[in-house]
Amino acid sequence: MRRRRGRVAWWLVFLIGVLYFVLPLYATFVFSLKAKPAFSAYADALSDPLFAQSLGYSMVVGIVTIFASLALIVPTAYWVQLRVPRARSLVEFVTLLPFVIPAVVLVFGLIRVYSRPPLPFTHTDLGSTFLLVAGYVVLSLPYMYRAVDAGLRAIDIRSLTEAAQSMGAGWITIILRIILPNLRVALLSGAFLTLAIVVGEFTIASFLARPAFGPYLNLLSGYEVYQPAAVALISFGLTWLAMIAIAVIGRGTRVRVQIGGAR
Amino acid sequence: MKRDLTRWAGLLATSAIIFAACSSGGGAATSAPSASASSAPSESAAASESASASASAGAVGGPSEELIAAAKTEGNLTTIALPHDWCNYGEVLDSFKTKYGIAVNELDPLVGSGDEIEAIKSNAGNPGPQNPDVVDVGFAFGEANKDLFLPYKVSTWDTIPEAAKSADGNWYGDYYGVMSFVTNTEAVANPPKDWADLTKPEYKNQVALDGDPRTSNQAIQAIYASGLGNGGSLDNAQPGLDFWGNIVKAGNFVPVDANPATIVSGATPIALQWSYNGLASRDANPQIDVTIPATGRFGGVYVQAINKTGPHPNAAKLWMEHLYSDEGQLLWLKGYCNPVRYEDLVKRNAVPADLAAKLPDTTGAVFPTPAQLESATKLITEGWDAATGVKTIATPAP
Amino acid sequence: MADQGALAARPGRRRSWSWLGLIPFFLFAILFIGLPISYLVLGSFQGLDGNPTLQNYAELSSPTITNAFATSIEVSLVTAIVGGFFGFLLAYAVILGGLPKVLRDALMTFSGVASNFAGVPLALAFIFTLGQLGVLTLWLRGLGINLYASDFTIYSKLGLEVVYLYFQFPLMVLIIAPAIDGLRPEWREAAENMGASSWEYWQRVALPILAPTLIGTMILLFGNAFGAQATAYQLTSGQIPLVPLLIGNQISGDVLHNPGLGYAMAMGMVIIMAGSIAVYTVLQRRAERWRR
Repeated sequence: MRRRRGRVAWWLVFLIGVLYFVLPLYATFVFSLKAKPAFSAYADALSDPLFAQSLGYSMVVGIVTIFASLALIVPTAYWVQLRVPRARSLVEFVTLLPFVIPAVVLVFGLIRVYSRPPLPFTHTDLGSTFLLVAGYVVLSLPYMYRAVDAGLRAIDIRSLTEAAQSMGAGWITIILRIILPNLRVALLSGAFLTLAIVVGEFTIASFLARPAFGPYLNLLSGYEVYQPAAVALISFGLTWLAMIAIAVIGRGTRVRVQIGGAR
Repeated sequence: MKRDLTRWAGLLATSAIIFAACSSGGGAATSAPSASASSAPSESAAASESASASASAGAVGGPSEELIAAAKTEGNLTTIALPHDWCNYGEVLDSFKTKYGIAVNELDPLVGSGDEIEAIKSNAGNPGPQNPDVVDVGFAFGEANKDLFLPYKVSTWDTIPEAAKSADGNWYGDYYGVMSFVTNTEAVANPPKDWADLTKPEYKNQVALDGDPRTSNQAIQAIYASGLGNGGSLDNAQPGLDFWGNIVKAGNFVPVDANPATIVSGATPIALQWSYNGLASRDANPQIDVTIPATGRFGGVYVQAINKTGPHPNAAKLWMEHLYSDEGQLLWLKGYCNPVRYEDLVKRNAVPADLAAKLPDTTGAVFPTPAQLESATKLITEGWDAATGVKTIATPAP
Repeated sequence: MADQGALAARPGRRRSWSWLGLIPFFLFAILFIGLPISYLVLGSFQGLDGNPTLQNYAELSSPTITNAFATSIEVSLVTAIVGGFFGFLLAYAVILGGLPKVLRDALMTFSGVASNFAGVPLALAFIFTLGQLGVLTLWLRGLGINLYASDFTIYSKLGLEVVYLYFQFPLMVLIIAPAIDGLRPEWREAAENMGASSWEYWQRVALPILAPTLIGTMILLFGNAFGAQATAYQLTSGQIPLVPLLIGNQISGDVLHNPGLGYAMAMGMVIIMAGSIAVYTVLQRRAERWRR
């Protein structure tokens, strides 16, 4: 009996949440339809070839950023939790810095440092894109670190590591084949957050002169009234679809490593 | 992602634009002639200071063949802060690309003058596409940063009014507009006609500024302008601040950054914007009405400059030649911006009649000098909080 | 700490060598955070004339700036706590609340997008919903409830907090999910078998386990709201003093200002973030004591 009553309560919580999230989107949608003729705002938005190009570029950069960020954060968070807990405060402080650095300051700083020898990244296209990815890894640090940390706390990394080591596994094997598979939910969360940041960001992309989606949105005429609303909803929907794709792909092999008997 | 969206809407003052028609007005500022009046001969100014690139590519000068060739070799131009619908920049850019076959790399159109200058400083020596070759900034930014700019006098230099350019050619005025009321007539049946109207009870929760009055020039100058209609003058901006205090007290102020979406949706049915912004919106949304206030007409100007350390100096010079040619100036006119060479164009009957008809009547508009604008800006940015009741003493959270 | 000795140490390995494992991270931090912001630090000591000065830091105590810091902290704290609390409930609902599995995936992916829906589109979305002519406002008026008859307005501090929650809730949902996942149902069953009530289960079992992550994520939410700027700019132009807006005034924009002051304010924010880490560390140590 308690379960059923409990379940009703959770349904209520869920529905209130849905209402809060959906209403503003619905209101935006209603507004975007006021363009005459109806849906012309959407037709205009989708017929522009730059829309697909820039969105594609941002998605690719997003995926690269996710992998780069994971490659940096997962070993670090793992190491902090396992071996160097004293470093935790310092590492977390560093991961929170991106919140308090204005994006313009970060991008101008990157340009100043990396537009001249010895590391003239801005002189080439590839270098500029590399700089963009680096900037986005910085922006995603807080979220990625917290997500991975939450995931690591939920599993017993000590026992897992000991068991793996006792079977002769090296560090790389441990991380790739033992730790990562157990972090599935955390990794997906981090990936979603990072992708959203990358697709929506425009300050860094535009000052680095990259053909990303954010700057494209900005170039949309400032005097358009309905089209930006339509584009915002479209990009919301497309990013959501991308995340669903990531979730489905990530569902793949779910390896649960059991240590000993029942937990 | 934190969207840094600095509202690009400021106009910085220029010096008094003394158009010849008004002859000698000896005061601190003189008014510009009405848009349709033909004017007396443009001021002579320095006759021998002609453009560094040799002129005579037509009746009104033009770029030399060497310049065009050099620019084409560079092949690229990087611009910044040029929204396509601001003064019809979209068409200006397209015409430049078509005419000379030079690719234009456009950086963020929505950043403010401060960011443009910072972009120049950060990119010193960078040959990549992040380095802006040319900027369009407020007047105060022109003179304050003249060391960053490459002096260049376009072939039509002489026809730019004295007060609107730097004697050394570091920066030069480009266009101006007048502060106006942009009203959504679907939400407001009776648009305001003058400053005093803004405090009327029928406009409750309807009046908005374009930008934060502590950071956006368009907003600051709206406040400065409102003073003109309320006992203030170009020397004294305090009445403007007081007036806005009254608007807030009357409950008419809605503290939302006005843009076309907020105007059309009725969230900010009455917005204070430059005439060219409002008129451009009106083209796409006929329910918008643009009214220049009956009294207290206030004009503001921007300036162009070339980045000294930009990677494409010849393309930059060619761009300036394009902007200051008759063709470029008329394209700005098409975007409802009064181009700085307007008087000269009118004198030579170069303005098509239908285009001239599109400009609103701005007779009597006044332009502050840089000194006046600077002190007014300081007064307004520092006094806004107190005048409008935003608490400045930290209170413990309730 | 008990965990230091747990791992079998190889002979000859001293604890300090473990820090080497963090080199890639710190190297990245120096290269792509430290170096670029070094001129922010240097700039905060520069006056308008370019000469070194402490004037910028002195100005941090002016009423406008202290007010902005106070408001920023308040808004961030409120949205961190409310966002954290309800976000947690929402995540729990779809993971362990007995709802259909598909809702969980939908919520997770949706949260991914919503966590970043901010700035002008978000502000406008809420204006369209709860503004004077908003969809919800008009609907409520149809029911006879006039929101704006009272003091309520979406353009206030409260309105801003309501809007900020739109990206705070999803952030909490996403980050706390793996932690909730880690709560084994067997633990709950075991607790009930031993006669614990629902409340006791929460108090003795679930919350202590979740506490470090809960608190750590709320710090994240705090930082997230603290740095947000564009939403506030669009929604409350000129009315609500917030630190990121003031910083933007000084270093960007169309009015000649004092970038050094802006940088000093940014350093102020850095110190506040450091402070929140300190608070978090203390809270976390205390929480971990529960587990012993």
